[in-house]
Amino acid sequence: MSIAQATLGAELIERSRRLVELARAHGADEAEVFAVHARTQAVRFEKGDLKLAQSDEGTTLGLRVFVGQRLGFASSNQSSDAALEHAAANAVTLARFSPPDLHNRLPAPRSLRMLEPLCDPAIEAAGIGELVEHARDFVARVLARDARLSIDGASLDSMVNTQAIVSSAGVRAAEADTHVSASIGGMAIEGDAVGGIHYEGDSTRRWSELPRLLESLEHDFCEVALANLHPSKGESYQGGVLFSPDAFVDVFLAPLISSMSAIAVQRGRSPLAGKLGQRIASPLLSIDDDPTDRTLAGAGSFDREGQPMVRTALMESGALCTWLYNSYAAQVEGRISTGHARGGARGVPSLGPHALSVRAGTGGSREDLLRALGRGLWVQRFSGTVEAASGDFSGVAKSARWIEEGRVARSVGEVLISGNLYQLLERIRVLSSTRQRLSGSALAPYALVDGISVTAG
Amino acid sequence: MVSQPHDPTSLLQEVLARKAGGFVELRLHKKRTRGVAVEKGRVETAQATEHSGIGVRVHESGTWGFASTDRMEAAAIERAIDNARAAARAAAFARREKSTPPPPVELARGRFEAPGVAEAEQRSTEQLLQLALSVEAAARAASPSIRSATSSYSEVFEEKAIVTSDGACAWTRLVRPEFRVVAIAERAGEIQRGAELVGVTGGWECLFASTAPEELAGRAAQQALDLLSAGYPQGGRKRVLLSPAIVGLLTHEAIGHTVEADFVSAGSCAANRLGTRVASELVTLCDSGASEYHSGAGGTLEVDDEGVRTRRTVIIDSGILSSYLHDRESAARFGVEPTGNARAFEFDNEPLIRMRNTYIAPGTSELEQMIAEMEDGYLFDGASNGQADANGEFMFGTRLCWRIENGRRKELLRGVNISGQAFDVLMSVDAVGRDFRWDLGSGHCGKGQPAKVDAGGPWLRARVVVGGRR
Repeated sequence: MSIAQATLGAELIERSRRLVELARAHGADEAEVFAVHARTQAVRFEKGDLKLAQSDEGTTLGLRVFVGQRLGFASSNQSSDAALEHAAANAVTLARFSPPDLHNRLPAPRSLRMLEPLCDPAIEAAGIGELVEHARDFVARVLARDARLSIDGASLDSMVNTQAIVSSAGVRAAEADTHVSASIGGMAIEGDAVGGIHYEGDSTRRWSELPRLLESLEHDFCEVALANLHPSKGESYQGGVLFSPDAFVDVFLAPLISSMSAIAVQRGRSPLAGKLGQRIASPLLSIDDDPTDRTLAGAGSFDREGQPMVRTALMESGALCTWLYNSYAAQVEGRISTGHARGGARGVPSLGPHALSVRAGTGGSREDLLRALGRGLWVQRFSGTVEAASGDFSGVAKSARWIEEGRVARSVGEVLISGNLYQLLERIRVLSSTRQRLSGSALAPYALVDGISVTAG
Repeated sequence: MVSQPHDPTSLLQEVLARKAGGFVELRLHKKRTRGVAVEKGRVETAQATEHSGIGVRVHESGTWGFASTDRMEAAAIERAIDNARAAARAAAFARREKSTPPPPVELARGRFEAPGVAEAEQRSTEQLLQLALSVEAAARAASPSIRSATSSYSEVFEEKAIVTSDGACAWTRLVRPEFRVVAIAERAGEIQRGAELVGVTGGWECLFASTAPEELAGRAAQQALDLLSAGYPQGGRKRVLLSPAIVGLLTHEAIGHTVEADFVSAGSCAANRLGTRVASELVTLCDSGASEYHSGAGGTLEVDDEGVRTRRTVIIDSGILSSYLHDRESAARFGVEPTGNARAFEFDNEPLIRMRNTYIAPGTSELEQMIAEMEDGYLFDGASNGQADANGEFMFGTRLCWRIENGRRKELLRGVNISGQAFDVLMSVDAVGRDFRWDLGSGHCGKGQPAKVDAGGPWLRARVVVGGRR
């Protein structure tokens, strides 16, 4: 943490401590404050030209109280004494109206191993002018690649975030983090033909990595957007489909992980209940939550309740290893939290993974998986609906390609895929050896899955 | 929670007078929320939040600069103006085509208060919690097969003051409550979910005007139970009947996004098609800041975030594409009047072109007659998510589906996603119902920032691609 961020962290802890005391003075038995200070600079390009440069800074404090194990919460981005007093009174009033819950208790402090360095002084120091220069060159390079490309929007943001947590149970921690993130969305246009829109985005904690990140976005965006032009009709069938990492996570992993929430299991809305330790997916599939991986945006030292965030194996060779716990879910079962409380300062802590990492398979490169598919559909993005409770999914295959003899034959449009993810997890045929970062937040391989229903319009 | 309103425009005008020079837009935005959520008898959240501040947009050196402050004091707003100007100056070298400040248009002045604010403010927190607790318990009690239920209520109070250097001086207040109930049914390891969601711009009387909360609980539970034994529709291009909620998704996803002028300029499929036929002559499609036909539509607003009075915009007039949706800058570029579609989610967001209440105008057909005329097809209801594409390919999720055979509604099936090319689907419309309903007032539209919108229409018959099983 830089000196400036360390000072800010100390200030946040002090403001949080004062709000905890205010809440206690209003009648809270327990109080916890999560504070976030964010400084952002952003530049936005529209249709290839600069649209807007933006600069913001602000702090939000979120107060959770228990009054006789009754829950109340209030948050405010206003810093006056009156606003803090109002927030404390609001949270305590709300708690007094809530019914008690025996498991409402703030977690005790645990030893934290701080994951430094998460801050890059170069990102802290970068001005709007430098961001604009990078973004302008990035946009110019994309447009110079092919006259058919049209950029709907592109942006480059730098963020310096400091967060702190203080509770009446003795939790007290602060951490600062910096990011620079880029995104681009657009399509290719040729005459009257408009290709499907494509988005790319990524983020990094190192300013020095920005040029390489932008180069990679440029390459991937141009390749997919151009190939989206002139889609033809697909074919209907039931069988193998190749999923790009993005689509694989959206269709299979995100709903699977949400069903691994201990609260979902305890409340009877997870179909995985009773299956801990059992194999529910292909032995090819192993998944970790790894917030110690600094290359992933969700990396950090402590969760939304100040509990340590550590690498957790979620699935090992297709077998369920653990549920995800925050302190409430842990209290229900008389155990300790796995450090999976999530969220910001504007709401009560939720529950989920921080930095999903699917282990690589042995299937080789994307091209090797295309050869393994032979003939069928390759889905790069999924635009649809997945019901985590039932496992049913259905949606449009975006940036989809038809594969013949292991190679891309053509782009296809109006193709829908459907199935049940819990049944199809068993039918993962192969995972690639290479993995992709998904907007900086997860790591996943390509996946070839059998048994998918494909409907062409 | 009752607050004494105090006109905030005078503070902004004083600041503006001291920092005159070029185009400046000041938007004070106070946002207060209350929310409660209950799952299986346990209070998941009982919360009150405030997120307020001032967003400043300036036109300087041929481009736009934006900055914000969370301090409602003159000195802080003046600093934010300086920051916005500095950001614009620092970035201006990258602007290839220098823009000009928006040309003069008639701008809103005065106070605009939507109905329901006082009524909602007077509801006690205890009432909110009792509502959520009793409805959740009712959903769970509907059947032993209901394993879990969730009920949540939230309301957003928004107060805005918009003052610009070219004459806008508007003060608006509104409230948007939402209520949701979800039931989870389980039988022999099979889990299904039923959900009912309502959201309006207005008070509680408006929120529960058509359906009482307990009835919503019963419906959600019944949906979950019925879906346990439901099969899947067969995939392929089918003739379908779409409910007002699904028609709302169609208007919003398939058409609304493609006619937002920023998307049009980037080359969406609606570009260069003004004045051409893009839909059956039965189709008239509009976007309005008012709540047409019935009160309470979730995206209702009288003044947009550039200080332009909102109005009804006819996008498709009897099948002919007649207008795009504009903010001040795009309107000037296209040589038309702004349509009042500039919206910012919070004080630290810049205004973007967004929809408000989007709908297809009612026709003359009766639902039973529309079913009777179908030999084979599906009826879809229960809107889920949706997404549009530049090329007009859309998708949206449905929760419920009924097979139609020989003019009769048959068994319930699970909802699936449906897709198609926007204008092709609208060209295929061969019947438009008589009854109109707003049905997407819950949830948000996402386009970089969320926006509260609504959409709806009558029952409608068309051909789409159904993503069923093979």
